[in-house]
Amino acid sequence: MIYKGPAPYLFLSPYLFLTALFVIVPFVNAIVLAFYETNGPRSRAFVGLDNFRFLFQDANFHAALLNTTIFALVSVCVQLPLAMGLALLLNGSGSRVRSIFRLIFFSPNLVGQVLVGILFSVLFTPRYGLIPRGLQELLHRGLEAQWLTDPRLIMPAIVMASLWLWVGFNMVYFLAALQTVDKSLEEAARIDGASAWQVFWHVTLPSMRHVVVFVVIMTVIGSYQLFELPLTLLSESYGYGAKNAGLTLITYLNYNGFRTGDLGLGSAVGWVIALIIFTISLIQIRFARLTED
Amino acid sequence: MSLIDKYPYGKAPFALLVIAIVSVGLRIATARRHADRPDLVVVTHTDAHYAAYRKAIPRFEQEHGVKVQLQLVNWASLQARVQNAVLAGTETPDLAEMFESTLGTFTRGPAEDFGVMDLTDRLHRDGLYDRIVESRFSLWSARGRIYALPHDVHPLMLAYRTDLVAKLGIDVSQLDTWDKFVEVGQRITRDADGDKVLDHYMIDLRFDGAWSLDALMWQRGGQFFDAQGNVAFATEDTAELIRWYILQVHGPHKIAFDCGWGQSVGKAMTDGLVVFQWAPDWRSWVFEDEVPSLKGKMALMPLPAWKPGGRRTSVWGGTGLMIMKGTKNPELAWELAKFLYFDGRDQGQRFLATNIIPVLKDAWNLPELERPNPYWSNLPIGRMYAALAPETPAVYSSPVEAQARINLDLAYARSIDHFLKHGEAGLMEVIRANLAEGAAAVRRYADREHKLRVATR
Repeated sequence: MIYKGPAPYLFLSPYLFLTALFVIVPFVNAIVLAFYETNGPRSRAFVGLDNFRFLFQDANFHAALLNTTIFALVSVCVQLPLAMGLALLLNGSGSRVRSIFRLIFFSPNLVGQVLVGILFSVLFTPRYGLIPRGLQELLHRGLEAQWLTDPRLIMPAIVMASLWLWVGFNMVYFLAALQTVDKSLEEAARIDGASAWQVFWHVTLPSMRHVVVFVVIMTVIGSYQLFELPLTLLSESYGYGAKNAGLTLITYLNYNGFRTGDLGLGSAVGWVIALIIFTISLIQIRFARLTED
Repeated sequence: MSLIDKYPYGKAPFALLVIAIVSVGLRIATARRHADRPDLVVVTHTDAHYAAYRKAIPRFEQEHGVKVQLQLVNWASLQARVQNAVLAGTETPDLAEMFESTLGTFTRGPAEDFGVMDLTDRLHRDGLYDRIVESRFSLWSARGRIYALPHDVHPLMLAYRTDLVAKLGIDVSQLDTWDKFVEVGQRITRDADGDKVLDHYMIDLRFDGAWSLDALMWQRGGQFFDAQGNVAFATEDTAELIRWYILQVHGPHKIAFDCGWGQSVGKAMTDGLVVFQWAPDWRSWVFEDEVPSLKGKMALMPLPAWKPGGRRTSVWGGTGLMIMKGTKNPELAWELAKFLYFDGRDQGQRFLATNIIPVLKDAWNLPELERPNPYWSNLPIGRMYAALAPETPAVYSSPVEAQARINLDLAYARSIDHFLKHGEAGLMEVIRANLAEGAAAVRRYADREHKLRVATR
C-alpha cells in the first residue's frame, strides 16, 4: 500500500530533522574544522593541511597509532579465540549451566569501562593488589611490578582488563551462532572420521562465518575507539601512561580537541581514525568474500 | 469502532503518536520553574572548602544584602565544564576554584578569548599583592597578568614514622642534604630476612616521574617554562636530576618505591614499607584523615637540600579562585573572592580544619598555626610549614603545560631504557638528547598556539 499526501513525510520529519541536526551538520562541520586551528568554537584560523602535517610529524600521534594498532591486533588474536573457546565450552553444556555461565562471563560488560578501569587499578597496585600478590604466590616474582607506571607493562595491563571486559561479550555472539549451526553436518563429518578440530575448522567455523566476520569487524572498530579504559587506568598522566605506552588514538583526540580546545586538530585526528577503520573494515569484508568464493 | 481503528495509518503509528503526546504533556506538566539566578554562583571542588565556604557565605550575604549560591563539583568535571562553557560562550559560574595547571586551558589564543578576569590591577589596588607569597602568583599568571587568587602555598616536607626511624637508627636531624639522605637510604633499603623482597624503602618516588620528579626539579630551581612562557626544562640541571632519579628508582642501590595513591600509601606507611612520604600541608591532613592509626607516631621534616644551605622545600599542588569574564557582577565577585580567601575571621579555623596554611603572609602569626598537632607528635606544623613558605619555588603556567609534563616524563622514561641496557655509561648524553627532543616537541605545540594567537589577533 502506498500512502499519498503529506502524512508519511510528517512522520519522517522528526527523524530527518534530528539526523540533519546531529549527524549531517556535525559531519560537514568536522570536515571544515579539520582545516582550521581553533580555540574552541570562538576563534579559528585557516591552516590548510597543517593539522594533518602536524599529526604525521608528532611522535605522540605515532605512539597512539602504534599502541592502538597493537591493541586491535591483540584483541583479534587473543580476545576472539578466547571468546570462541568459551563459547564452544558452553555450547556443549546443558542449558541451565550455559545460562548461568553466559551471565557470569557477560556481566563484566554491564559495569562499563570506567568501573573496570578503577577496579583493575586497585587489582594492579604494586605489593598490595590481587594481581601482584597472586603472581608472587605462583611465580615468586612480580610483587613490586608497576603495572600502571612501567611502560613495558602498561599495554599488557590494558589488554588484561579489556579481556575481562569483552571476552564474555563476544562469547555471547559466538554462542548464539554456534547454536544455529546445523548439527547434522557436524554429525556427518564425525561419522566420516573427522577429528574434533577438523569438525570445528571445516564445518562449524564456516557455518558461522558471517557472525565471525561481524565480530572481528566490530572488535577492530571498538579497539580503534579504545578510550575510557586506559584513561581511567592512567588517569594521572592524562591517559598517556609512562613513555606514552597507554596512549590511544581517541585519548590523543580527546586531549587535543577538548583539553586544549583545538577542535581543528581533534577533527583531523577523527578523520584519520575514520579512514583507518574504514580501510580495515573494507579489507576484512573483501577478505571474507574471497574466502566465501 | 474505536479511535485506534479509525486511525488511518495503522496501530503502530497510533501508539507512537499517543506516546509522543503523553511524553510532551508529562514534560510540560512536571517541568519545574527555574528559580531566579542568585547574584553570584561560586563553584568549588573540595569538600573541605565547600564546608568552610558554606559556613562563611551567610555572613557575606548579610553584609552585602545579596544571594550567593555555592556548588560542589568534582574537579575534573568542573574544569571540563567551565572550559567548555567559556569556549562555547554559554553561562558560567561567577567564580570557580581550580587546581594548579588549569590556567593554561583558559589562556589559549587571543587575550580577549580568555574566559577569566584579569585581577592584576585589583590585587595592587587593594594592597593584596604584597601580602601574598609572590611565588604563588606564577601559577595563575599568563602573559604577565594574574588571572586567579592563589588559595594556598603548599610547601613540601617529608613525613615519617618516629618509631620506625628510631628502629632503623636514622638520625633525622642529619638528613639535611639529598646526598646524606641517599647514603642512609642505601643502608636501610635491604632484604634483612632473606625472602628476596626488600623490607624497607627510604622514600616514596613515582616510578614514572610525574609529580615527584616535578617537585624535585622545582626544588633545584628548574622550571617547565620561564616567566616569559618559553620552554625551560631541557637544562643540564634537569639532566642531572633525571640521572639521580633513575639511580634511586631503578639503580642497583635503589632507595625508592612507588606507593601509588590512596589506600596503598596508607598501607605502606602502616606496614613501615616506606620510611619517608611526601607531605605538602594539604597531604598532612590527608594522612591524619586516612591513616588515623598512626596518630602520635608521625613527624615532619624539611626536604633535604641539594647543596648544603640550599632550599629545604618545594611545592606540590595549588588551588586558585578565578572570576569568570561572564559574571554580571565583577565587583561583587571580587569582594566575595577576597572575603572567601582573606577574611581574617576564618583563616585560623580553616587551617585547623585542613592543615593548609594561608597564602597571606600576615596570617602566619595566627595562634592556630602555633598549636601543637597531636597526630604529628605535637609538632606545631602550621609554624613549620609557614617557615618554609617564603622559600617555595615559582611554578609558571602555560597553555601547553600538560605537554611539558608529558614530555619531561617521556625523556625520563626513554633514559631509563638506556640505563637498564647500558648502565651509567653514556647516560648523561642520552638524557640530554631526550630532554632536547622533549623540549622540541613542546615547542611545536607552543608554536601552534602562538600562530593561532597571531592569526586571530
